[in-house]
Amino acid sequence: MLDLLTGLVAAAHGRCSYAEARHVVDRHERIEVRGGRVERVDAGTSEGIGVRVRAGGAWGFAATTDVSRGGAQAALERALALARALPDVPAASLAGIDAPARGHWSSPRERDPFAIGLEEKLAVLLEAEAGLRGDARIVRTQASCLSTATTTAFASSDGAAYTQEVTACGGGIQAWATAGGELQVRSYPSAHGGSVAQAGWEHLMGLELAAHAPRVAEEAVALLTAPPCPAGPTTLVLGSEQLALQVHESIGHALELDRILLGEASYAGTSWVGAADLGTLRYGSEHLDITADATTPGGLGTFGWDDEGVAANAHPLVARGVLRGALSDRESAAAAGLERSGGCARADGFARQPIVRMTNVSLQPGAAGSLDDLVADTGEGVFMETNRSWSIDDRRLGFQFATEVAYEIRGGELGRLLRNPSYAGVTPSFWASMDAVCSPAAWRLHGLLNCGKGEPGQVMRVSHGAPPARFRDVEIGVA
Amino acid sequence: MSGERPLELAERGLGLTEGEAQVTVIRERSLVSRFARSHPTQATRVDTSTVEVLCVRDGHTAAASTDRTDDEALVAAASRAAAAAQASAYSGPGSYPGLPGPAPARAHEGHDPVTARLDPTTAGRALEAAFAAAADGGLEAFGIWSAGAVETAIASSAGVRATDSVTDAFAKVICRDGEGRSGFASDTAVRAADIDVAAVARRAAERVPRGALGDVAPGEYPVVLEAEAVGVLLEFLAWLGFNGLAHAEGRGALSGRLGRRVAAPAVNLSDSPRFAHTLPRAFDAEGVPKAPLPLIQDGVAHRVVHDTSSAAVAGGAATSTGHALAAGGTSDGPVPTNLVLIGGGAADEHELAAPIERGLYVARLWYVNPVRERDALLTGMTRDGTYLIEDGRITRPVRDVRFTDGVLRLLEATEALGARQRLVSEGEFYGRRFATGVVCPPLRAGGFRVNA
Repeated sequence: MLDLLTGLVAAAHGRCSYAEARHVVDRHERIEVRGGRVERVDAGTSEGIGVRVRAGGAWGFAATTDVSRGGAQAALERALALARALPDVPAASLAGIDAPARGHWSSPRERDPFAIGLEEKLAVLLEAEAGLRGDARIVRTQASCLSTATTTAFASSDGAAYTQEVTACGGGIQAWATAGGELQVRSYPSAHGGSVAQAGWEHLMGLELAAHAPRVAEEAVALLTAPPCPAGPTTLVLGSEQLALQVHESIGHALELDRILLGEASYAGTSWVGAADLGTLRYGSEHLDITADATTPGGLGTFGWDDEGVAANAHPLVARGVLRGALSDRESAAAAGLERSGGCARADGFARQPIVRMTNVSLQPGAAGSLDDLVADTGEGVFMETNRSWSIDDRRLGFQFATEVAYEIRGGELGRLLRNPSYAGVTPSFWASMDAVCSPAAWRLHGLLNCGKGEPGQVMRVSHGAPPARFRDVEIGVA
Repeated sequence: MSGERPLELAERGLGLTEGEAQVTVIRERSLVSRFARSHPTQATRVDTSTVEVLCVRDGHTAAASTDRTDDEALVAAASRAAAAAQASAYSGPGSYPGLPGPAPARAHEGHDPVTARLDPTTAGRALEAAFAAAADGGLEAFGIWSAGAVETAIASSAGVRATDSVTDAFAKVICRDGEGRSGFASDTAVRAADIDVAAVARRAAERVPRGALGDVAPGEYPVVLEAEAVGVLLEFLAWLGFNGLAHAEGRGALSGRLGRRVAAPAVNLSDSPRFAHTLPRAFDAEGVPKAPLPLIQDGVAHRVVHDTSSAAVAGGAATSTGHALAAGGTSDGPVPTNLVLIGGGAADEHELAAPIERGLYVARLWYVNPVRERDALLTGMTRDGTYLIEDGRITRPVRDVRFTDGVLRLLEATEALGARQRLVSEGEFYGRRFATGVVCPPLRAGGFRVNA
């Protein structure tokens, strides 16, 4: 296939200023167990070629499931026709690359999830799901797992010719309880699909879903009659998973360079950060250190090369609270006057073109010890964990989150369970209020499966690492 | 692509299965051109075919899909789905009652052969029109123009042989001035020729606030919601309230409320797959014909929607209402995809605003998500055009605000509806193209809860 792609971009020579071709085979399997029964097994393989060309300053992209030489050639012709049909765009260069991407990269795994028998997977999920049932107030119980494998071959007119293989696996459990008009949900190890990582079946087994099921069910039921989360300003300790989503929404998206340059204004939105702010803007307190790292082991944003052939790298976005970098591809980097792309061009399968995406954007650990240490040091406040609801404005400034669970903090210990917790804030003041971050041992990496962006829509998998952290004077109980 | 028609391919695939099975073929051709700062930025042309095989064994369903159409790939998909369904029986009998049988689907006018040509020069002209209209106002244009053609064919062992062809076109323009103030407009139709992109851009330009933006304090305000905002709220109500699976499991926002008044008497909401201006569909993902279904009549909640799977969970006399989003059902449940809210008597947003002494006019909502599903409580932002209403007139622009409010509460507090319905769509065709929209008018409601 790589030969076909290399020949295809060679055929584009003289007809456009740049061409790239990607062949992608995406394999997935999702298994869901509900109410003591196997509810659904979905498996699939998609395969196709996406061709992107740049004629003058205009892009054209065409995708096809016809992976023959003729099909690929037809896609190239459609991409060229598309670029030429558009109104003129001033020609602009792309950021340079250090060396053409060549070779092969694959993500590590111990047990190929596609080599595990379905019976073994079902046994694990059925056991976990059974542990959620028993209380009549539990109205829905679910255990699920997801396995994916993506094989990519890429060639570009800049001389790139690489292949890479990525395997990911994970899952989780959820219980919904209802009584007296109240509906509550608890999830483990996280909401929105559980914990998925770039790994094999060993990742799911390491989650020990069955061992956590009784606690998850008990908490879902207990939430039905728990006192409501109080309203007002307080000291807020966020658990690692909720903080990961907070990083995603209020830092990761805000630092996508295409948004900063208004390229996403029609859909995803813009950013409160300006291109001139790089290097000077105070984003948060001195405890705020954020990195974008496409080499993080297990991260869903980890790869050998991005979808423009730029090698994976790690770079700081915020250091001691000051903005130091942004997430970029070759086009946005050049437009902002940067010498090199940040290596953040990623595409959702063969039928979508690469756009600026997060890789693994993480909050670096601090020195506040464990969560218990942080709670003990906090005295009075509220601890929230596991996302339930999220919303942020189109400049990534004003946000509101709700979590599945909260506990009051009294006398340096976790106290009563609280239901329907929520909090709200404004990005820079919120991060400025962060005065303690837990230590490396409390740092966890969380996969996020549903990051939406782009038109036509693209869903990207990314990861965020974070330890628990503390924020002062946060408005809670807002919903 | 071969010359094989989607239904022929589906039948060939079905011939390679054993036992109870359904084969679905989806052939998508689409074109999307994006623009920013009055320049083209991305242009995407997609030509794909997908074959999905669903096998049913002892009440369990399993599906396998492939983008290849050769016999080897189809056999592999069929074998995989059959093996998975069989293995699922390990847990005992499943709840799926079996694939629905054939039923005649009514023809619709949801396909336009000219739109289906996907001529890239049409996209080029659309963008030029948007740029020119924005430039007339000293503004920059951002947005997309998109058209798609989707053929769906279903062949099942229960005897279903169904085929449907639809087209859709969508244009969205955000005009923006140098200060970052923006206005939004969009249009959706079956025929690309029915979308006047210049007019859309002019409407967006007219909505760009002039002058400094004021602030609104948290509180409750009488509000006029434009059709775009109403459509988003109703789409969430589809998931939270009319979803038959959530309802059957006691998680739905209408649980225990069917047959009771949940909205103002002026509210009449239905799922109407052949209503004027909607994006029609002949049948659902299991081949069950689409038919009009009243959901709220004169403010009273009447029913929820089902696919075959959720109807089995609901039990009793429940049957599929033709709302399966995937063969065999989905974990999230069935939803109506052709919502129609009947209009009222107000000529336009200005007439709706007339009785309001002090309130808000909201052009569009953004990043809306549920806070508490059972209450249909949502939060989100206003965007691209939020104005004060003072003494009955839409006056000064204000900064976007956050709302946290219940959809059903807003419908209960609805005082008047506009006469003119529009098909509104967010144009977010995630994954496979499945264009949907809500036909609705603007409305006036009391007590819109602004909390930031």
